[in-house]
Amino acid sequence: MMFVDVLLTVLTVAFALLTVFSKKTVISAFALLMTLVCIGGIYYQLGSVFLSAIQVLVNAGAVAILFVFVMMLIDLEKYPNNTERSKIKLIITVLTSLVSLGVLALIINNNIDTITVVNLSDSSMKALFDRLFTQYYIPFELATVLLLAAVVAVVVIANNNKQHPGKE
Amino acid sequence: MLELILETLIKAAIIVGLPLGSIPIILVVERRGAGFMQKRLGPNRVGPFGLMQPLADVFKFLFKEEVEPSHVRPFFYTIAPLIALVVAVMPLAVIPVAAPFDFNGKTIFPEVFHTDLGIFFAFAVSALGSYGILVAGWASNNKFSMLGALRACAQMVSYELSLTTAIVAMIFLYGSNDIHSIVAEQTGYWFGFLPKWGFFVQPVAAVLFLVGIFAESNRLPFDLAEGESELVAGYHIEYSSIKFAIFFMAEYVHMLVLSGLFIILFFGGYSLLPGMELLVGDSALMLTIMQVLSFIIKISLMVWFFVWVRWTLPRFRYDQLMMLGWERLLPLGIFNLIITVLVVHFRNH
Amino acid sequence: MSIYYYLSAFLFCLGLLGTIYKKDLISILLCLELMLGGVALLFVLFSRATGFLDAQLQVFFIMIISACEVAIGLSMIISLYRKKNTVYTDELKIISE
Repeated sequence: MMFVDVLLTVLTVAFALLTVFSKKTVISAFALLMTLVCIGGIYYQLGSVFLSAIQVLVNAGAVAILFVFVMMLIDLEKYPNNTERSKIKLIITVLTSLVSLGVLALIINNNIDTITVVNLSDSSMKALFDRLFTQYYIPFELATVLLLAAVVAVVVIANNNKQHPGKE
Repeated sequence: MLELILETLIKAAIIVGLPLGSIPIILVVERRGAGFMQKRLGPNRVGPFGLMQPLADVFKFLFKEEVEPSHVRPFFYTIAPLIALVVAVMPLAVIPVAAPFDFNGKTIFPEVFHTDLGIFFAFAVSALGSYGILVAGWASNNKFSMLGALRACAQMVSYELSLTTAIVAMIFLYGSNDIHSIVAEQTGYWFGFLPKWGFFVQPVAAVLFLVGIFAESNRLPFDLAEGESELVAGYHIEYSSIKFAIFFMAEYVHMLVLSGLFIILFFGGYSLLPGMELLVGDSALMLTIMQVLSFIIKISLMVWFFVWVRWTLPRFRYDQLMMLGWERLLPLGIFNLIITVLVVHFRNH
Repeated sequence: MSIYYYLSAFLFCLGLLGTIYKKDLISILLCLELMLGGVALLFVLFSRATGFLDAQLQVFFIMIISACEVAIGLSMIISLYRKKNTVYTDELKIISE
């Protein structure tokens, strides 16, 4: 096990914990950003350079920035929600996630010896996209349609403001 | 292993030290250039021709009292300038100033981090550039700062799109992401005198990219993030002394990085300027020196261009900026991309 | 290498915990993003284990879908905030007006 692997794992775990358990939402957004960057580092470590670049570009650069943006617009610190959670709900929540973690860990533990590490012959951008544009071209086209639909949907939803009719 | 670490450290020191060290020179050029364009003298009192002015500025920034207002969020307030500077410096790791050269029987890449996704990596990292500004604006806990930060962030995200269309068009044209092969494609001449620079093939993409650079680095005419007349000073109102200076440095480094990428994509990167071949001869050492020199000359011209535009064009209004980005540049970029793809396709088949 | 398998399981379950536990909609979206991150990591690990690039392409699609999800989700949250002035799930009990 390499030093870098352990370092990345520890960092990812720390930032993920901060994401979930931080009281301030802006801090959890920044922690999510760092988690995503660390996952990008893991991709690099696993040999898929292109995916790590995409991860930083899309997830850390665009998705996380949207979160930070919205959190700064909606300042939750000003309107705190003080309703108490019922104890039983909390226990069930923790139990659910612990059980699922246990099951997953058990599955991984039972199969970890059979997992091999294959050196990818060619994980360059060209090899990846050769496959994307031949075998996967229909999902790819559908994904572009999905993105277009998302853009249109966001514009429609954001413009749907009856109190202040915006200029067209 | 030790050798590798040493090599990387030396390269990193040079590649970070050079731009940071050149900032004082840019400052002189900027302030004296402003004076020149506005028919006044500019700062000319410190040293010969005012050349020592940035030194005096640095001392002023270092020794001024550092005021931290009581209403800021202390942790984020402190790390915001550092985020801005670190993110601005990171893309420098993939920008080469010369072709790979032989040293002690070993091929050395002049960039710190050699990857065949060079251009892509640089843009992935500089996409994080808005975080420094956003954190600063939010941590200052001031409405003007917040407005400035939100403006800067929206502006950077919007102009990244047209910038990306320009880059993708160039990547299609050169058929590679590797900076060295992009530069190799641009070495040589058409008809014996016109350099094979990307600018002459893709002027539309070049213009898109150039506008994008100005928007990304928050320089006039797109410095809405600072807009003195509306926002006092934008995201760095609450910053004083060295923290303010670090924001300043980050802005200049960001500008240098983006001009470096512009030169790599459109003006041949480190390929020799016309006429320089005569000076090189057969010497490999001379070739490397001349390549570095070409790159530096091109970057200097870009910096002068930045100063020139800054003191020529007035600031845009915010809605004009957004309209220009989304309704003019983005469709133009996509149109240009489609044409490029078609041309490249028919050229290859 | 095997430590990453546990990491991806951990990320998924932590995201699950947050999704159920958190009170405001934005944090719930954040935790969903964390779950997606764990799953994407597992796909890259599978690609590494089998030597096929297909798994990496799944990560590509996951990224596209998560970007769409975040964009639409956040815009819905903002328009909800404009109308009801809250983003807490236990205050948003009425489906229609």
